Amino acid sequence: MTEERVISANKPNEKSDEKTRYFIRLNFNERVQHMIFLICFIILALTGFMIKLPEDIVSKFGEAKTVVFYYRGILHRIAGVIMILVSLYHVFYLLFKPAGRRWLVDMLPKLKDLHDMLGTMLYYVRVREKPPEYDRFFYKQKLEYGALIAGATLMSLTGLLLWTEQMWPKFVLDIAAIVHGMEAILACLAIMVWHMYEVHLKPRKFPIDNLWITGVIDEEEMMEEFPLHYKKIMADPELKEIYIEQERKEVDRVRRIFARGSQ
Amino acid sequence: MLAAILVMLHCGVTYAQADILTDTENCLLCHRYPNMGRYDKAGNKKIYYINDKLFAVSVHGKLRCKSCHVGLDEIPHTNVKKVDCSSNCHIKEPSTGKEFSHENMVNKYQKSVHGVDAKTNPKRFPEDLPTCKYCHDNPMYRPPRDIWGTSEALSNETLARCMGCHTASQWAERFYSHFTHRMRKRRSQEEVVRLCTSCHEDKEKMARHGLESIETYKDTFHWIQVEYGVENAPDCISCHVPLGYSAHDIRPRTDRISPINMTNRVKTCSNPGGMQSCHAGATKEFATGRVHAYGMKAQIMAANNNKDLMQDQDITLIRERAEKDFSPAEVFHYKILKLIRLFYKLLIASIISFMLVHQVLDYMATRRHHKSH
Repeated sequence: MTEERVISANKPNEKSDEKTRYFIRLNFNERVQHMIFLICFIILALTGFMIKLPEDIVSKFGEAKTVVFYYRGILHRIAGVIMILVSLYHVFYLLFKPAGRRWLVDMLPKLKDLHDMLGTMLYYVRVREKPPEYDRFFYKQKLEYGALIAGATLMSLTGLLLWTEQMWPKFVLDIAAIVHGMEAILACLAIMVWHMYEVHLKPRKFPIDNLWITGVIDEEEMMEEFPLHYKKIMADPELKEIYIEQERKEVDRVRRIFARGSQ
Repeated sequence: MLAAILVMLHCGVTYAQADILTDTENCLLCHRYPNMGRYDKAGNKKIYYINDKLFAVSVHGKLRCKSCHVGLDEIPHTNVKKVDCSSNCHIKEPSTGKEFSHENMVNKYQKSVHGVDAKTNPKRFPEDLPTCKYCHDNPMYRPPRDIWGTSEALSNETLARCMGCHTASQWAERFYSHFTHRMRKRRSQEEVVRLCTSCHEDKEKMARHGLESIETYKDTFHWIQVEYGVENAPDCISCHVPLGYSAHDIRPRTDRISPINMTNRVKTCSNPGGMQSCHAGATKEFATGRVHAYGMKAQIMAANNNKDLMQDQDITLIRERAEKDFSPAEVFHYKILKLIRLFYKLLIASIISFMLVHQVLDYMATRRHHKSH
């Protein structure tokens, strides 16, 4: 009974959807990169912070703790290596693939970002009526991307130093250990506060923004969130070719799996 | 009434004779009662009960009570002397045929960092230092298994081969236990750390001797491995007992045989051919670094002109030792590490609070925006 109602409720939407266009925010390659990075990040955070657990929690592992510790170390290294490889691939992607080069150019910080940031703050405190018009990537995303690059570089370097410890002076290792630990705290907190809000907790995104699976957003969302980029795309047939999703069927299927009321 | 007491006494005597061969002094007549004990003047409960079966399988199970407890001829025992582990105990030591004594070990121990010999090794507060009994109770021989893995069969076969010639099974088992007792660690790494830290974590006690508390070890990856029960994890003994010596020979870091002496560091960390080999291929730069985290000594050295710190006598003592231990380079390292940590704390606090404020504002603005549409 309820199922029928859901299906019939979805039908008019599907019809109206035929007119809406979908805009590509992440292509397939980028989604795979994100997925691998995400899985590695979670494994690294869990296995890494295990060595900071208080004694009484460790003792609750009982006899299994030795085995747990053994696999902890191995998993942390495997996930670390994969993360480094994905990061290196991303650099290759930025430099040698057309889509990557577009990403790089759009991601570079510009003076407009500073204006946008100020404008957004003023909008938050109700001085301005409307938020500034964002381009493909706005200051929040650029900051996060920059932090990700800096964080991944530092973590990879210090991690490799700690892995090959017997080759380095202890002072270098002490620095590496502090940076690795502190950077991990910073990265996890930043992800929790900055990224989790953006893709999970933000009104109309809750419980999760499907973008990481589908890679696209609909026209309405596009006009609202990235109006400047929308205008640029609509004015340029070449960009239209790149950023407007041609076949929508697959997207719809995924959307239905993640169906939620706010769509 | 008298008859009843006599019967009880008689029972006691026969019981003791039947169960334990070494109790020729008839101590168990009284000491077999579990409630036997008293409160001393400080209010501590002293228990004088002896479980004869457990005693018989302990490392001292073959000894008579009076071998160690001298002066028990009066009842109640008012003239008893403290047990001295370096006294002779009327058992023949097979390699020399002389009377056995722990004197050898006690002499070595007195020369070690924990010794309190008034002439050669004077200490400011000798009462703080551990005596034999602080670390050694009267341990039980473990049943002849769980050595070389958990192969009970292997032990049984070995024992059977022994008993081909040594027909007294009790003797053979005891000898086997005595031997295998030395082939395994009596304490796990975690137990070793707990034993050492029972004194070395006491800040006041350590400061009286110019030492810093050993919490600094628990900031190392060494301790985390011990905590998780890793087989190869280094405890206190691994790095502080000289190679080829026992725990009784721990020496100060200035001593040439000390494994933490700078000249021995590479060998200690890499320990080629040892049971516990950790950092194979360790370089000199790696091995000569500070292993424990920087603690109180580093703090005192870094706070050069802090007059508040200097007034404390104990601190002055720590400072004297720290000045010998710390090179200017290490003080510099400590300051740099402290700066990096401070930098990160400020960075995390400012970035995360900025993010929080930003996102809360964003949340309110988004809600507002959606309401108006």
